[in-house]
Amino acid sequence: MKKLLFSILCASPSLLFAQGSQVNTQGVRALGMAGAGSALFTDETSIFYNPGGLAKMDHNAVSAGISAVMYRSAFKESGSNQVYNTRSQVTPPFSVFATFGPDNARWKAGLGVYTPYGGAVDWGDSWPGKYELNHLKLRAIYIQPTISYKLTDNFSVGAGFVYNIGMVDLARSLPLFLPDGSSAHAKLTGTGTGIGYNVGAHYNFDNNVAISLSYRSKVVTKLKKGDAEFTVPDAVAASFSDTKFSAELPLPASLNLGLSVPVSDKVDIVADGTFIQYNIYKKLVFDYADNTPLLQDTEQIKNYKNAFSGKVGVNYKANEKLAVRAGVGYVKTPVGKDYVYAETPDNDRLMGALGLSYAINDKFSLHAAYVLQKLKERTVTSPVTQIEGAYKTNIHAPSISFTYKW
Amino acid sequence: MKRFQKNIKLYIGFVALALAASCKPSIDLDTKGGNPENVDFSKYIAVGNSLTAGYANSGLSLKGQEQSFPNMLAQEMKKVGGGEFLQPYFPAENYNGSGFLYLKALVNGQPELGTVTDHLAIRGQTEDKKPLYIKYTGPINNLGVPGMRLDLAFVQGMGALNPYFERLLPDNETGTKKYVDFATTKDHTFFSFSLGNNDVLGYATNGAVTTDATNTLISEQTFAGLYTEFITKLTSKEQKGVVATIPDVTAVPYFTTVTRQALLAGVNAALKEQGKDPFSDIYIKTKTVTRAATDKDMFILPFSSAGLLGRQDLKDPATGIVNPYPYGLFIQNPVGDNFVLDESEAKMVQDRIVALNTTIKQVADSKKLAVADIYSFLNKVKSGYQINGIAISNKYITGNIFSLDGVHLTPMGYAIMANVFVDAINAKYSTKLGKVNVSQYGGVALP
Repeated sequence: MKKLLFSILCASPSLLFAQGSQVNTQGVRALGMAGAGSALFTDETSIFYNPGGLAKMDHNAVSAGISAVMYRSAFKESGSNQVYNTRSQVTPPFSVFATFGPDNARWKAGLGVYTPYGGAVDWGDSWPGKYELNHLKLRAIYIQPTISYKLTDNFSVGAGFVYNIGMVDLARSLPLFLPDGSSAHAKLTGTGTGIGYNVGAHYNFDNNVAISLSYRSKVVTKLKKGDAEFTVPDAVAASFSDTKFSAELPLPASLNLGLSVPVSDKVDIVADGTFIQYNIYKKLVFDYADNTPLLQDTEQIKNYKNAFSGKVGVNYKANEKLAVRAGVGYVKTPVGKDYVYAETPDNDRLMGALGLSYAINDKFSLHAAYVLQKLKERTVTSPVTQIEGAYKTNIHAPSISFTYKW
Repeated sequence: MKRFQKNIKLYIGFVALALAASCKPSIDLDTKGGNPENVDFSKYIAVGNSLTAGYANSGLSLKGQEQSFPNMLAQEMKKVGGGEFLQPYFPAENYNGSGFLYLKALVNGQPELGTVTDHLAIRGQTEDKKPLYIKYTGPINNLGVPGMRLDLAFVQGMGALNPYFERLLPDNETGTKKYVDFATTKDHTFFSFSLGNNDVLGYATNGAVTTDATNTLISEQTFAGLYTEFITKLTSKEQKGVVATIPDVTAVPYFTTVTRQALLAGVNAALKEQGKDPFSDIYIKTKTVTRAATDKDMFILPFSSAGLLGRQDLKDPATGIVNPYPYGLFIQNPVGDNFVLDESEAKMVQDRIVALNTTIKQVADSKKLAVADIYSFLNKVKSGYQINGIAISNKYITGNIFSLDGVHLTPMGYAIMANVFVDAINAKYSTKLGKVNVSQYGGVALP
């Protein structure tokens, strides 16, 4: 009898701290305008949006915020009459910002701890693409000490150093079947670190028109000694002993230009444009510590294209205590048609946002925002499974934050 | 404002709740206007043999019934106006049905099979010690009967000979009912028909040796007559339907797994350890001569598990005397005819299948029926391809398509086969029947 050779393309999991999971929720004020406002708000969240604006603050503040990012995707295989939805997953990105600096000084220092990218998709193990992905949970925490300096009253610059801790949890079905008929699966969990920087300049004209220019460097997160665990039939367990893996996940550099124009005492109009250098993300390689004939290193081609986003918003100061705002945005996808993977079935997206700030008293204020992102439906053929089908995604992100200033 | 302040948590709560409930994206199903010929799926019946019943691993179990291809097809029909699809399920506590083969272990890559013997649905025995299964005589849509042949469908009293048919019949009909009458009186609106395989494969799987009515080779003429008669009855009210072609013998692992070279390699590896000279030939008995086997002769799958090769203690069936020559390795003690589909037999069977498939397509054409070309499908499987990221082929166990008996399919195999039917129906009638999600079904379970 023929010797049984199992030719299994094993887990070529794909992690991606990128577009699909990118929901910037660092500043709830900017979030209320779909992420625009880097020129308007010179406050503790400038640590993220533009370190150059930080020195313009005339006080110190601490703020803490949290969001509930709900990433909801749907998939329909071509020719099928069944739509599969991702299970409801809520990832709670958080952000804490604090500033330090003497009154009336030309400089301001700050520290930001925030989660710039967080996403969770859970397709489960009965959807057609389960041999590509069951679930993916991502979390990146950035720790960013920052310093900003006012060169003139109108012009300030700043820079921050970014230390990133990235966490990943991914599972995928394997085409091997357990005695109860269920499929085997691979689970990968790991933590990695990376470094980068964030610089910016902020200028406001005497008529209060303001310009913000900032640049975030790429951050390459290196995962080492991640855990690869396999649930497989005993008969093939020897080829799938739990092992370690390493991988590199690049986060792209981005250049952001923001503009804010006051149209009356109460109303400001803002606009932000961002160029994102996604083309550094060419491929994703998974290197397993112990290769077997069944468990080989994998390489997924990503070939991301550079992308841009544009956002506009309006901020209305209703009275001393209350400000309300709204914004819209458009994000061009970096993901080419032939490289759409299940973990981020990305496409061009439209964003709409609403927000408010309310000063409870002189020291405490509260901010809330809600962003809806709609990704256009996209019919693609999976580069992993060759399944053709349509993806559609909505992302909902309500956020809230509190600021204490002195 | 104070009030707003007071209730803000409540507002936020409400908003969050409303969002969580309403944020599902929707993708439109493309089913509208998808039935220009008004195909009526409201009462679909599946007429056929073991493949229709959900038979796998040499047995029929409750799980196999649930994962039968007609059931998968019916679930898709339901989404476009189809009705209930009832199957003659074994009782829940007797879920292992007839019992079946399972993979006990892989020893050095070689499969070791076991037989499931608990939770069987056996209610008694016939006079010749064959099992009788727990009956199901309620209304059913899946009329698949393992072992049913086109010619035997016209034989009165088949219930007494086939236990799977017997369990579907009330006691007073066992000795009288013809399967053709059983299948054509269900008042159906749509049907699938896949009889005919056993009329050829029953013969081939027994090494082209006929011992009884279940392993004769049907003639082209008989087949054409009976096929036309059966289909005419099924379409008496202009019903639409789909018919399946007969797969090629060389497409199934029952005939392709145990090869001459693999057998010799096994024998010679053992001899090498003992420091003895290798054998270079295996001798087979054909209907006309005894000769050395070639690579074109096909040994059937059970020959391997029977473990006869090289044995020196086997009695000659004709004389009853022990033959001291190692079985199959000497011309004086050849492998029995029933274990080998030799080159000329294979050729004859293959030619017959091609001829019968021509008849099937002609009859289908004349009755405006769709043709699910299982012959082409399994020939495509033979060369291997990828589906949903899974490599499938006709390789035993690892090919994911065929169950352990080497003829019947795995749930995954049945799902892919269901999609052959879906495609055929959609192509013929311009319907928008949906594809079955193949990823939901597994291949051969490993220990």
